[in-house]
Amino acid sequence: MKNAMKYLLFFRNVVFLKWAFQVIFLFGILSIIWNYIQNAIVNLADTNIAFSWGWLGETPGVSVAEGMYTLPNSGLQMIQTGMINMFRITLTGILAATLLGTFLGIARLSSNYIVEKSSTGLLEVVRNVPLLVQIYFFQAFVLSFPRLEVFEVGEYFIHISAKGLAFPWFNRGPNAYLLMVYTLIVIYIANKIYKWRVELLEKEGRDTKPFLWSLGILGSLLVIGWYGGFRAAGVFGFLAGYISLGLESVPAIVYQGLVSGVAIYIGFKVTKAFIDSKKSEEAQGIYSDDDYFKIILNVVVVLLIVLLMFSSIGAGFAGFLVGDEITFKADWGLPQLFHGIENKLDWYPHIDLEIYEVIEGMKKAEITNWLIKPGDNITEGQVVATAYATGNKIGKQEVELKAEYTGKVESLIVEEGKAIKIGIPFYELEVTDAAPFVFSRPKVEKVNETSKFKRYAKGHGKSLSVGYFAIWLGVVLYTAIFISEVVRAGIMAVSKGQSEAGMSLGLRRGALLRLVVLPQAIRVMLPPMGNQYLNLAKNTSLGIAVAYPEIVAVGQTLYNQEGQTLPVFLIWMAFYSSVSLTISSIINYYNRKMKIVER
Amino acid sequence: MVDVIKKNAKAVQESLFSSVGSSVLTIGTSYLVLNFFRGMFGFVMSSDKDWLAVLNNMQLYMVQAYPESDFIRVWISVGLTFVFSGISIGLWRSDDRSNISVMFDRFYKLGLGVLFFTIVAPTFTSYMGNDGSVITEEVFSRSSRIGMLIPVLVITVGFFLLKNRKINFSFNNSDAVFLYLSIPIALIWIIELPTIQLDQNKDRIIPDPLMPIANTTKVPWTVIFVLFLLSYFIGIYFKEVKRLKNIMSISWFLLPLLIFSWIFKKPQIEMAEVLTGDIPIFLIFFAVGLGTVLLINNPIVKKYYSIYIGVVIVATIAGVFISIPMLAKACLLLLGLFVTVVPAVSTSQQGKKSLIIIWAVALVTLTFLLRGGASETGIVVPGSSIFGGFSLTWLLAIFGTYVSFPLGVLLALGRNSKLPIVRIICTGIIELVRSVPYITWLFFASVTLAVFLPAGVEFNLIVRVLMVTAFFSGAYFAENIRGGLQSIPKGQYEAADAIGMSPFQKIGLIVLPQALRAVIPTLVSSAITAFKDSSLVTIIGLFDFLTIGKTVIDNQSVPVNFVGHQRENLIFVAVVYWIFTFTLSRRSMKIEKRLGLGER
Amino acid sequence: MSIIQAKGVKKWFGDFQALKGISMEIAEGEVLVICGPSGSGKSTFIRCINRLEQHQEGEIVVDGTELTNDLKNIETIRAEVGMVFQSFNLFPHLTVMQNITLAPIWVRKKSRSDSEEKAMELLNRVGIPEQADKFPGQLSGGQQQRVAIARALAMDPKIMLFDEPTSALDPEMIKEVLDAMKELAKSGMTMIVVTHEMGFAKEVADRVMLFDEGMMVEENTPVEFFDNPKNDRTKLFLSQIL
Repeated sequence: MKNAMKYLLFFRNVVFLKWAFQVIFLFGILSIIWNYIQNAIVNLADTNIAFSWGWLGETPGVSVAEGMYTLPNSGLQMIQTGMINMFRITLTGILAATLLGTFLGIARLSSNYIVEKSSTGLLEVVRNVPLLVQIYFFQAFVLSFPRLEVFEVGEYFIHISAKGLAFPWFNRGPNAYLLMVYTLIVIYIANKIYKWRVELLEKEGRDTKPFLWSLGILGSLLVIGWYGGFRAAGVFGFLAGYISLGLESVPAIVYQGLVSGVAIYIGFKVTKAFIDSKKSEEAQGIYSDDDYFKIILNVVVVLLIVLLMFSSIGAGFAGFLVGDEITFKADWGLPQLFHGIENKLDWYPHIDLEIYEVIEGMKKAEITNWLIKPGDNITEGQVVATAYATGNKIGKQEVELKAEYTGKVESLIVEEGKAIKIGIPFYELEVTDAAPFVFSRPKVEKVNETSKFKRYAKGHGKSLSVGYFAIWLGVVLYTAIFISEVVRAGIMAVSKGQSEAGMSLGLRRGALLRLVVLPQAIRVMLPPMGNQYLNLAKNTSLGIAVAYPEIVAVGQTLYNQEGQTLPVFLIWMAFYSSVSLTISSIINYYNRKMKIVER
Repeated sequence: MVDVIKKNAKAVQESLFSSVGSSVLTIGTSYLVLNFFRGMFGFVMSSDKDWLAVLNNMQLYMVQAYPESDFIRVWISVGLTFVFSGISIGLWRSDDRSNISVMFDRFYKLGLGVLFFTIVAPTFTSYMGNDGSVITEEVFSRSSRIGMLIPVLVITVGFFLLKNRKINFSFNNSDAVFLYLSIPIALIWIIELPTIQLDQNKDRIIPDPLMPIANTTKVPWTVIFVLFLLSYFIGIYFKEVKRLKNIMSISWFLLPLLIFSWIFKKPQIEMAEVLTGDIPIFLIFFAVGLGTVLLINNPIVKKYYSIYIGVVIVATIAGVFISIPMLAKACLLLLGLFVTVVPAVSTSQQGKKSLIIIWAVALVTLTFLLRGGASETGIVVPGSSIFGGFSLTWLLAIFGTYVSFPLGVLLALGRNSKLPIVRIICTGIIELVRSVPYITWLFFASVTLAVFLPAGVEFNLIVRVLMVTAFFSGAYFAENIRGGLQSIPKGQYEAADAIGMSPFQKIGLIVLPQALRAVIPTLVSSAITAFKDSSLVTIIGLFDFLTIGKTVIDNQSVPVNFVGHQRENLIFVAVVYWIFTFTLSRRSMKIEKRLGLGER
Repeated sequence: MSIIQAKGVKKWFGDFQALKGISMEIAEGEVLVICGPSGSGKSTFIRCINRLEQHQEGEIVVDGTELTNDLKNIETIRAEVGMVFQSFNLFPHLTVMQNITLAPIWVRKKSRSDSEEKAMELLNRVGIPEQADKFPGQLSGGQQQRVAIARALAMDPKIMLFDEPTSALDPEMIKEVLDAMKELAKSGMTMIVVTHEMGFAKEVADRVMLFDEGMMVEENTPVEFFDNPKNDRTKLFLSQIL
């Protein structure tokens, strides 16, 4: 009777009420979302723009102002260009903002009146003006310089004009990636050696000079690397080639199965561990309602992943990895990705040479006569082919196409008599002789002999476009100011006692800061610092305001072209979410590492 | 005198030249700062800048295309804000007094600064002409430098002497606000600047005539200042009335609504509809509310009160689906809220009285707003929206905060909840919204949002922007509020449980008041960020304050050519934003300090 | 007729079993003192009585109402059981008066004037009527705890639970709180007090219990408990604490 009452009164049961409320809440949210999706389906059907991803594989009819691929062969490649442009700003920006911010933060704590007041003044100005206004101002500032056309042709040291900013720079050659990978390996080795020597020092109690050792080995390996040793990194290219070959034979269904399998495995593991923990002698296998929910949630998530994997979404995902019609062109499929790595990191890198704009207004080239054949050794500047250049303004003219690098011709991609657009590769070259990095000064040149327009010559120094300059300076300054606040707060958080203890040991102010205060302050600073990095990454999206083609700007161009606003928005969301997730997990990783050190 | 110099010299030496490194830093920084100032001075004064591009477009900056015939509405709004401020400053008049020598000291330092910069200001400046050649021109002639130095020197020395004399006169810090404000009011009558005047043929009269700044607006500004002063005295007079403070707080909350509806609508109301529709509904609901309050202590009513609440709620929900006048629906909703608070408040005669007043005021406001909102507006604006320029920036900032704050509170509560499904969903929303930059959400509002709305439903772009802003700022507010929620000790929840409070009472009476108080500073800085972020709407093509400066003025070519004068306008825009954000953040710091004092 | 009956109450925190089957009965008007080393489950047990913690097995009946997941029962029991915490848990954003009148007004729906009158009476009873308009942060620890007692009493509870009410206090303030509690005990209130104040136990308690490792080790009259403990664990405990 009593039990019957218990069940009769279920609507007064707090556990029942708790879950009933949540289920209603969940269905409320789901039905709202479903309602909006229905609206979207109806509306899209009305406008004749069906939701599709196909445009990612098609060649967009637009170019990108700057970046990796200025004439992208597919929508995906265009988005890739935008992403890389975004990373250019984000990575260099984080570095610069951290340095400047730390400097300003320390300056604000300075006992020197003028230093302290000027840095505080800068802070108050930058922090209280919207970032967009600052970026616009930097843009207007550069644009107010004279047009490039009024300057003489020739080399300069630093040059600024309405076209942007140019300065001397080490430019990447075809071997640059080899050298960079080599350097990373060398740093890793030097670090290992340092740790080994320190271990030895602690074990044997004699001075094993760990710093000297690692520095010496680092230096000598770098020297060896610079004079050709960097080709050792070619082993990665070699491996990537085989991985690429292997991946090519993997069908799409394998990826679908693999992801489902991993999801099931992890879900099973986690759930089992949870159930096991409840089985212990003390707990006696008693579950609360929340425990049941956890188990159900695990099962539901795994089921959802498996279901998704074997629906059209999963098929699309697998096709993406295999290299289907969407990803193949942009080299985003896994086999193509590894093939790309092989080309860049082979003992002698392979590069595809593209048709370039020989004369202004040229749109297409039709190869009339190949002067080289596969296996030929060619030198830089040698004429490799003659062609007809065609374009609306220039009609049809005969031009010579010259080799850009010294090397061995691998294959000819384009047959004689076929017209191809600018930016499309026409032969493949194995580069045998090229410096990894070339130092050069900026050079102003005419677009071509007859043109009255000028440009900064490609490969001479580094030229920053107005947009790049404005957005970079804007986000760096803005973030640096906030980082300076973080640094200041971090240093102040380290108790005064610590400073006094350090001073009583006879440490000078600089040493005190470096050895006692900063290492402790960094622990306090890390999480807010991570937030600032996230903000910087998000603020690069303002590049669109100054026509810098980062992912938002590129996305906008694409949906103006294709009308696909929803997919573009989803791409933005996925991209920024993963960037945020990456940055916050890196910060979390270091945060955890620091905390372990503390104990 | 010698002692003073010696003491100062020693202080200077200690703070600036204590070591070699410090001296190098001092000299280096001074060099940088000086050169920056000289560069800025030259930049501002050089002849390739046309500051008339800013001065001549003040109206555009403030209200964009709002019709001049209805400017009185804008002035009344501004005046109302100042009157409210005046009353508030009076009501909350601080008792802090400062000696007059503090003020003299302030002016003395200002004088010293001006003197110093007059001396170091460059005589010549150079800039690059369009042909790439460097043009050098005189921007600060010797005669004008001396002409400026002498009066400044005299004033500075005067203040120095005054400051060092022990004058036993102190003034209230709140009064000083008016003293300081009277200076610009006086200046707009005195200082004259070149302006652009057009003759009958819309041609520019050259040379530009000199006119007082704010030539067309000096009268309204002066009137507003006088009203400001008057309301300050009214505030002081009623300082002791505690209830007035509460009324003012609520009024501040309602003021923006009133102002924006006032600027937005000039309702064309038909009397017949009011007589047949609004007034009867108003009377019925007023009677129901009155009856509820009066009969609440009757034992029979008390017994069946929960059923009564149920009936009202069912009626409200039913009202959404059946076709009754909009006013009746809204009134039902209001009645639902009203009957739930009545039992708690109407325990005394005093409470009952105020409840009846609140009910009447709420009903009148609702009737008024709905009737006004549903009617046609008499204000016709060329272009897409009534709000433009600075008024749009304020609309976005204030209403962005208005809509996002409650949402932020809900999301924070959800994320902090013990219910796992609610927690997961709220966490998901917050993290998703926060990980994507604001500008992409604005694009979502401008191009994608329409896809998700039912066919036939269309919102103005401003409304759509406000919708996404609600979520975006809401997610940021939620994170701040969550910090406050987490700072509340577990014991508070337990104590509330132990005295038998329901979950809603626990949140409303114990948790939220403490959590919000703990996070006021971060909330203010979030609001400041929202104000700055509102400038991003310029990218999606709304005509906010920044757009006017960046694009609109830069495209003016007839009758006066301002093409290519973006930098001047951007500097002006930056200065205006700066003034507002800087003052706001300073204010919030003061409020924070005051709150910190109140807690102990 | 006993006002609280507990039968085989068990409670786990994850893997840790905090209560290993507690059974007891408390008569109306009885003052019960529970002592024991920290982690022995004594606080957990009294927190189970007004459902701040949820017991997983066994049965607790308070004044004829069984504690189940039933919302109505929980409400009824919480209204009848007042609780005083170790760390006072006053609401810092409300004045003393508001702290005390909050529950009568919002939970019991009494009128403000009645509640305030009652609150003043209670403040008089605990001896701090002059502090009514201060904020908790302005009071000493002993005063805060007395306000907490007044706050609990404002709901007219039949049973009062005290969870180590004096452990967070400075020695000189303990007495004032204990005096308030003694006065309450004399008025005939049913009380369960978790405390280490053995003097209080000797003077006021009708029964004393010792908890250890989630079990009730000894239950006795105060005289017997202190002078002639049955259990070795009790002897050890008393030797450590006295």
